[in-house]
Amino acid sequence: MYTALIVIDVQHLTKTYGAFKAVDDLSFLVGPGEVVGLIGPNGAGKTSTLRCLVGIQAPTSGSITIARHSIVSDPVAAKSALAFMADEPHLFEYLTVMEHLRLTARIYHVPDVDARALRLLDELELTGKEHLLPVELSRGMKQKVAIACGLLHDPAVMLFDEPLTGLDPLGIRRMKETIVARGRAGAAVMVSSHLLHLVEEICTRVIIIDHGRKIADGTLDQLKTTPELVSAGASLEQIFLTATARES
Amino acid sequence: MLGTFAYLTWCSFKNRVRRRVQRLREPRYLVGLVVGAIYFYFALLRPRAVSRRGRGIPGFGSAAGAVQSVASVVLFAIAALAWVWPGAGKPITFSRAEVQFLFTAPVTRRQLLHYRLIRSQLSMLLSSALITMVARPSTLANSWMSVAGLWLVFMTVRLHLIGVALSRTSLAQHGRSGVWRQWLPLAVVFGAVGVLVETAIQGWPDLVSAPDVRTAFLELQRLCSTGPAGVVLWPFHTLAALPLAQSPDQFASALPWVLLLIGLNYVWVLRSDAAFEEASAEHAERRGLETASATAVPRRSASAPFRLGLIGPPETAILWKNLILLGRYVSARTLLRLLPLVVALGLASQASGHVGLAVAVGGMCIWLGLMLMLMGPQMMRNDLRHDLANLALIKTWPVSGAAIVRGEVLAPAIVMSSVIWLLIVLGALLGQPLLARMGEPPTALEVLGYALSAAILAPPVVLSQTVVLNGIAVLFPAWSSVGTSRARGIDAMGQRLLMMAGLLVTLAISLVPGAAVAAAAMFAAYWMTGMVILVVPAVLFALVVLAECWMATELLGRVLDRTDVNAIEPVE
Repeated sequence: MYTALIVIDVQHLTKTYGAFKAVDDLSFLVGPGEVVGLIGPNGAGKTSTLRCLVGIQAPTSGSITIARHSIVSDPVAAKSALAFMADEPHLFEYLTVMEHLRLTARIYHVPDVDARALRLLDELELTGKEHLLPVELSRGMKQKVAIACGLLHDPAVMLFDEPLTGLDPLGIRRMKETIVARGRAGAAVMVSSHLLHLVEEICTRVIIIDHGRKIADGTLDQLKTTPELVSAGASLEQIFLTATARES
Repeated sequence: MLGTFAYLTWCSFKNRVRRRVQRLREPRYLVGLVVGAIYFYFALLRPRAVSRRGRGIPGFGSAAGAVQSVASVVLFAIAALAWVWPGAGKPITFSRAEVQFLFTAPVTRRQLLHYRLIRSQLSMLLSSALITMVARPSTLANSWMSVAGLWLVFMTVRLHLIGVALSRTSLAQHGRSGVWRQWLPLAVVFGAVGVLVETAIQGWPDLVSAPDVRTAFLELQRLCSTGPAGVVLWPFHTLAALPLAQSPDQFASALPWVLLLIGLNYVWVLRSDAAFEEASAEHAERRGLETASATAVPRRSASAPFRLGLIGPPETAILWKNLILLGRYVSARTLLRLLPLVVALGLASQASGHVGLAVAVGGMCIWLGLMLMLMGPQMMRNDLRHDLANLALIKTWPVSGAAIVRGEVLAPAIVMSSVIWLLIVLGALLGQPLLARMGEPPTALEVLGYALSAAILAPPVVLSQTVVLNGIAVLFPAWSSVGTSRARGIDAMGQRLLMMAGLLVTLAISLVPGAAVAAAAMFAAYWMTGMVILVVPAVLFALVVLAECWMATELLGRVLDRTDVNAIEPVE
C-alpha cells in the first residue's frame, strides 16, 4: 500500500489502565475504500483501540495518524476527517434530531445541511422524527441519529462500534448497505463487531485482536491460507475461534 | 412477603454502606471524609459540648408551645399543598429494578404499598436521628423521644402524601366521577382551608399589631388552639406534640392519638382505588434514563433561542446548544412559581409598615441581583459541569479544547448577567428610597451611575466564577459531579467543601488584579476631579477580568485536550 493513500496509520499503539494493558503494541494501516473488520473476544481491546483512534482516550504510547494528521498533536485536523459511531448512541438529551444535525453541521463546517440532512434522514428512515427529543426515540432510532450525525460531513474515516445493535431487520440491511456504499465511495471504514457474519459480509479485510495484540490481519482469503489457520475451515467464525483459541 | 421486603431493604442498605466504605480506598473520598467529619463535628456536635457547660442555646422547653403551633401550621400547609403542588402528585416511586422484579412477581397491590412503606422507614429513622443531633435536646430521654416522635411524624406525613398522590391519580384517571369518588378527602381539605383562611383574616390585625415577636407568637398560639381553627389544627398539633414532648408522660399521652392518625392514613391509602402501577413504572423508567445519562429528562420541547448559522466560531454553536438545554429544563412556569413568594415577601415588608410594596420589591431585586452575582454560577450548571457526561461525544469534535471551554462558559454567564441586569434596572427604578435611607438622597444621575457600574461589574464577576468552576471540572474531573446527579455521604460533602474553599481562594486571587486597577483608577480620578467616579474603574475592572478569563480558557483548553474520559466517574 502506498503511503500517500493510507488514511489510518496506527503504529505501536499501547493503552494501559493502571497495570492493565488493554492494547499492546498494535500496528495496522487502512487505505481509502477499505472496510476493515476489527474483531476479538470480550475485553480484547477493540473499543479501547477505537476510542484512542478518535481522540476520546489518549494513547499511552505509539502514534495514530488520521488523514495524515496526528490525533495527539493535531487533533482538530484529524477529527475533521473522521466520524465515530459508538456502540451506545450518545446524544444530547435536550436536542431534537434536527438540532443534532444542525449542531454537527456547524461544528464540521457542512455548508448545505438542510439538503444533506433530509437525504440522510430518508436513508436512515428517520423522516418525520426531525423534531423529536432522544427520550422520545427508541434505541435503534437513537443509533440511527448518531449515525446520521456521523455521516453528515462525508468523513474520510468512519469507525463503527457494534453498528447493528438495536436495529430492526430493515434497519440492519440499510446499515450494511450504508457502510458498504461509504467504503465504495472511498472512505476508510473500520467496523468493530461480534457479529462475525456481518464482518464476513461487508468487510474487505479483517483484523483479529486478543489481549490487546493483533493476531491476524488480512482478507478472508488470505486468512484461510495462513499456515497457522489453514486447518480452521472456510468461515470467519471458524478462523476466529481457531485464532483466539490458539492465542489463549 | 413482609420478611422478603425487609430482607431486600436490609441488603440494599448494607450494600450501599459497603460500597461507600470501599470507595474510601480512593484518596479523594478519604480526604473528603476527613474534611466532612471535621465540618460535621464543628457544625453539629461541638455546640452540644458547649451547651452542657451551660452556655448553649436553650432547648425546646422554653419555646415549645410556640414551636408546636408553628409546626402544626407547617404540617397543615404540607398536607393542604400536597393537593395542588405539582411534584406531590407524582406516582409512588419505585426503581427500575423494583418494577422489573416486583411488578412482574405475584405480589399484590397492598404488598407493593407495604414494601414502599418498609423501604422508606430506614431513611426516616436516620433523618430523625440527624435532626435530633442538630436540635441537641438536653437529656437522653428527650433525645429518644425526639427521634421516635420525629420518626412517627415522618411516617404519618409519608402515608398522608401517598394517600394524596393516590387520590390525585384517581382524580386524573376518573375525571368527573373521580371527584365523586374522592368527595370525603376533598371536602375535608376544602373545609379545613376555609376555616383557617377565615381565622387568619380575623386574627391578622391583632397579629401584625403585636408590639413584639413574643406577643405575636402568643397570639398565633391562641389562634391555633382555640375556636374552629383549633379543631382543624388539632391532629397536626397532636402530631407536633410528639417530638416536642418534654417528659415521657407527655409523650405517652400524645402517642395513642398519633398512632390513630397513622392508622387512619394507612386505611385511607389501602382503600384507595387508584391504579398506580403503570404511572410508577413510567416514572421508574424516566428516573432510570436520568441516571443513565446523569441528567434529568427534558420535560418539553422549547424552541431554540436563535437560528444557528452554518458559519462561525464553534463557541457560538456550544452556546446555542447550552441555551437550548436551559430552555428545556427550566420553564417560565417554574419561574412564575416564585412570583407568589416575591409578592408575599413584598406584602410582608409592606405590612411591617417600614416601606411601600414597590420599594420592598425594589430592595428585593437589589438583594437578589447581588445573591445571583455571588451564588448564581454555582447553581446554574448548563456548562462543562453538565457536559462532562457528554465528554466522550464532545471530544470527537474537531474543536480545540479552548474553544470548547469558552463555548461552555458562555451560556450561564450570559443568562445570569441578563437576569442580573433586569434586577438592577428594577432595583434602580423601585428601590431608590432605600438608598436615601443610607444618607443624602441620591440624584437621578448618581442612581444611573450606580446602576451602570453594577451592570458593568456583573458579567465579569459571573464569568470569572463560571470559568473557575469549569476549571475545577476540567482540572479535577473525578471530583466533579457529572450532569445533574450528586454523590451522597459525608465524604462527598467533604469533597464539596474542599471544592468550595478552592473556588473562593481562586476567585479571590483572580479578582485582585482587576480590583487593584479599578481602585487605582478611582483614586486617580478622585485626585484629579475631586469626585468619586465609578463607571470608568468598573470598565477597567471588567476588561482586566475578561482578559484573565480568556487566558484561563486557553490554559484549561490544553488540559481538556489531554483529559481522558475515563477520569470522569458517574456518581452512584
